[in-house]
Amino acid sequence: MDKQNITYPRNTIGEIPPCPVAPDSLQGIPRQQTNPSRWQGEQWSAFVAALQQANIELRVAPHNTGTYMTDAGGLAYGKPHGVVIARSAAQIATLMQLAQQFQVPVTTRGGGLTTEGESVAFGGVLLDMTGMSRVLHIDKTALTVRTEGGIFWHLLAEALRREGLDYLSAPLNLTSSVGGTLGVGGIDVNSSKLGCSADQAIALQVVTPTGEIVECSDEEHAELFQRVILGYGQFGIITEATLRIRPYTPLRMHYFYYSSLRNAVEDLIQIDRSEACDYSGILTMMDRAITLLVAFDSDEREAEFLSHHRKAVRGYGELPFAIRTAAYYAVRPWRIKEALYLYQRKRELFPDLQPAHHMQGGQMIDRTVVFSRAVWKHWGGRQMVIPDLASSVDKFVESVERGNAVCKKYFPHYTLYCVGIKLRADHKAHYELSCIPPDAEEWAYGCEFEPMLGDNSYSRDQLQSFKNEIYDIGVDLGTSYYRFGGMMKGYIRRALGDEVVEKHLAMKRQADPAMILNRHVIF
Amino acid sequence: MSSTTRRVDVIIVGASLAAAAAARRLHDAGMETLIIEKRELPRHKICSGILSPRGHRFLLENFGPIPPQALHNPTSCRGVTFHFPSMVSMSMDFFGGTTPHLHRKYADHWAIESSGAEVHGATSFIRLQQQGEEQIVTTRKKGGDEVQYRSRYVIGADGPSSPVLRSLYPDYPQQIPWFFVGQKFHEIIDCPLDEAYFHFWFHPELGHYTWSHARDGRQIVGVGFKRGDNFHQRHQHVANYLQDKHGVRLKPADVDHEGCAENFGPSLINRYVFGKGNVLITGQAAGFLNMIGEGMSCALHSGAIAGEAIIEAAIHNRELQPLYRDMIATEVRRTTDQWNPLKIAFGRPHEADFPAALMALPLKDRLNVLRDMWRFVCLYKEFKWGREIMRESIARLKYGHYPGQRWL
Repeated sequence: MDKQNITYPRNTIGEIPPCPVAPDSLQGIPRQQTNPSRWQGEQWSAFVAALQQANIELRVAPHNTGTYMTDAGGLAYGKPHGVVIARSAAQIATLMQLAQQFQVPVTTRGGGLTTEGESVAFGGVLLDMTGMSRVLHIDKTALTVRTEGGIFWHLLAEALRREGLDYLSAPLNLTSSVGGTLGVGGIDVNSSKLGCSADQAIALQVVTPTGEIVECSDEEHAELFQRVILGYGQFGIITEATLRIRPYTPLRMHYFYYSSLRNAVEDLIQIDRSEACDYSGILTMMDRAITLLVAFDSDEREAEFLSHHRKAVRGYGELPFAIRTAAYYAVRPWRIKEALYLYQRKRELFPDLQPAHHMQGGQMIDRTVVFSRAVWKHWGGRQMVIPDLASSVDKFVESVERGNAVCKKYFPHYTLYCVGIKLRADHKAHYELSCIPPDAEEWAYGCEFEPMLGDNSYSRDQLQSFKNEIYDIGVDLGTSYYRFGGMMKGYIRRALGDEVVEKHLAMKRQADPAMILNRHVIF
Repeated sequence: MSSTTRRVDVIIVGASLAAAAAARRLHDAGMETLIIEKRELPRHKICSGILSPRGHRFLLENFGPIPPQALHNPTSCRGVTFHFPSMVSMSMDFFGGTTPHLHRKYADHWAIESSGAEVHGATSFIRLQQQGEEQIVTTRKKGGDEVQYRSRYVIGADGPSSPVLRSLYPDYPQQIPWFFVGQKFHEIIDCPLDEAYFHFWFHPELGHYTWSHARDGRQIVGVGFKRGDNFHQRHQHVANYLQDKHGVRLKPADVDHEGCAENFGPSLINRYVFGKGNVLITGQAAGFLNMIGEGMSCALHSGAIAGEAIIEAAIHNRELQPLYRDMIATEVRRTTDQWNPLKIAFGRPHEADFPAALMALPLKDRLNVLRDMWRFVCLYKEFKWGREIMRESIARLKYGHYPGQRWL
């Protein structure tokens, strides 16, 4: 190999002005290296020997490391030097101590459902947390569950259902891990009532970047607890979590249909404010066929909504909306393709949102299964491209409308998914450097913009350009983002300000002297 | 064939920015990638070096900050200035802000080294054969014997006169018109041209492509014309014109002039060449060239797409060519839009605002500019591209993209 050590000649003619082509010479968002360089493997051999001595199994075969080449987003690719399957907190503690000693990067991964490369290892060790996926204890009286951090939500749901119990909220993709979700947020259709998934954690067992095993909660090691919850994996690895749970209830579902995005979003906000329902969210088929979902845990709540709040909801029932839509397209025959797409979409989608085998007496027996299956069958693809904007109530309508315009520019078909997130006043410190926008009070709102990629193949630049255009709206409006790590970390300072980022960077440097844990995610 | 022939996942021919981008993608994905380049590295590259903002962004996001050693002086460029025979000049700043003035020799080498792929300099591509699922690539190290490699995929990122392309389509060079683009370097006596801009002349008497800008204390005078004409005469004509009309006083050209053949047409008429089977052609070899002749940004992007297509094909066991052609469609759209008269008139396909600069001129100058541009375009009449451009422009309007049937 012709690896030459080239000494570049110094430019002798004139003076190079101060960084004339620095990232900030590009107008708009300062650009930085978002596709990280691979770690070059300094001290790797010594580190491997130390791991062997500590009896930690390291997998280095190409078929082992290749499995983790990319994440669900499919835009960032990287290969670890080796993979460690998480087995216990003690094992991870030893791994982290050695990693600090030899300055080897460690990237944690649960379900790998990040979209910006946050769980992709650009060299170093990939720590696969799915090896720790047991439910440890269910306390039916105190309504809590203790579980290992690498468990997927659907496995946790299975264990809880057997006891007639349910978690509070979980992301719609149930193959995300509990630990990963607590590190970033997690939103569900009941988040407007119960908060984001991370807020249901009562206590955590965390392995710090320097390899200490620490139990933390709001009462014990509160500062670590604050940093790890919604901390994007910067301050520790969640090995165990105690979560609040509740009795399981079937759902009473109602769908309202809109042809105006603004009306639908305004109604969603109003319904959440009035606390008239237990579940709420928006899913669009197109920007003129929008579904507002509301659901209830009990007949009483449903009856109260129908008698007191239904009139204020501007959405139509299925039949009236179908008639209005048919009339709209009847006088616009040149948009027949659009009409046919809507009809086709309705035919495919609606049966899966209320499947007979999951309905009993008009109630949905397991929303977890129904929603997650429907979402991944009808909205999913082999690549998750889901940029989002997380804003305060005041900015939400504009965020959604501007994001919708960007989607329309790039893709013929896409969907928007909007939900509210109830904020906990006592968790302000948790939210400091997170997806929760700093100016949000009581509720934050999130909208995901998901193109229907189908079987089409797009270049990464095309998809990244689309995402950047959505994220630029956030900079313009002053919102935050649910997915703000990895390839979009350039936005963090713009969204949250230098002061907050520097503060957390200083804390990170103190907690992780070698800066090895999930090192390309935020800083 | 020797049983010890080395097998790699991908061989990239050429050590350009397109190759670096492709290699970066492939190396990230853990594919064993070998780059072969016929010259010793770092190698000289004939180029203005003025990168577009889009290319700048790509370099930053994928390779990090550009080292100062990989830049010429002036190190940055604010935009372009168009000059017309009616002596109207229009300066336009890039939308994205200042962009780097790359020293291609070191910038390319920095990118190639940063890609992480294995690089063999002074190694020429000799021939390509297909054997079952594999490509047999024969190379020769300078002064050495032929060496063969097996690979599943090959990327030709080897410039306009691509040997890889010629090995697939031996007749292709005869099918397109060729241009010669050359530049000479002059010590400056007095140069009123603003060194913060790249200067371009829409002047049919000067040539098909005439430019000038400052570099490392000297002034470049560049000229492009249909192959077969005399470079030195053409260049002298332009130098005299700059002195007479713009007061550019330069010393006689230094001895280090340079020139190369250019394939100027494929981007205009949507006649790209993307390869066959598991052999991809990318960068300028495929025909990518932005308006004003900047090819680096589309080389970076198309190179990256070639890498991405191979990764997708390998992971999902899909046929490579359809995948590459699907993915490259966006880059085709971006590039060919820049030559599309409908897009120029009603869209903003360029990275500087020509319509706004035009509208800022007094009416008389505006009319003069339009007349001068028309006369300049007529210079290209002999290539009969007009109808093809209009046909492709209408197809773009109708389908939202450029038809792939015209690609080789």
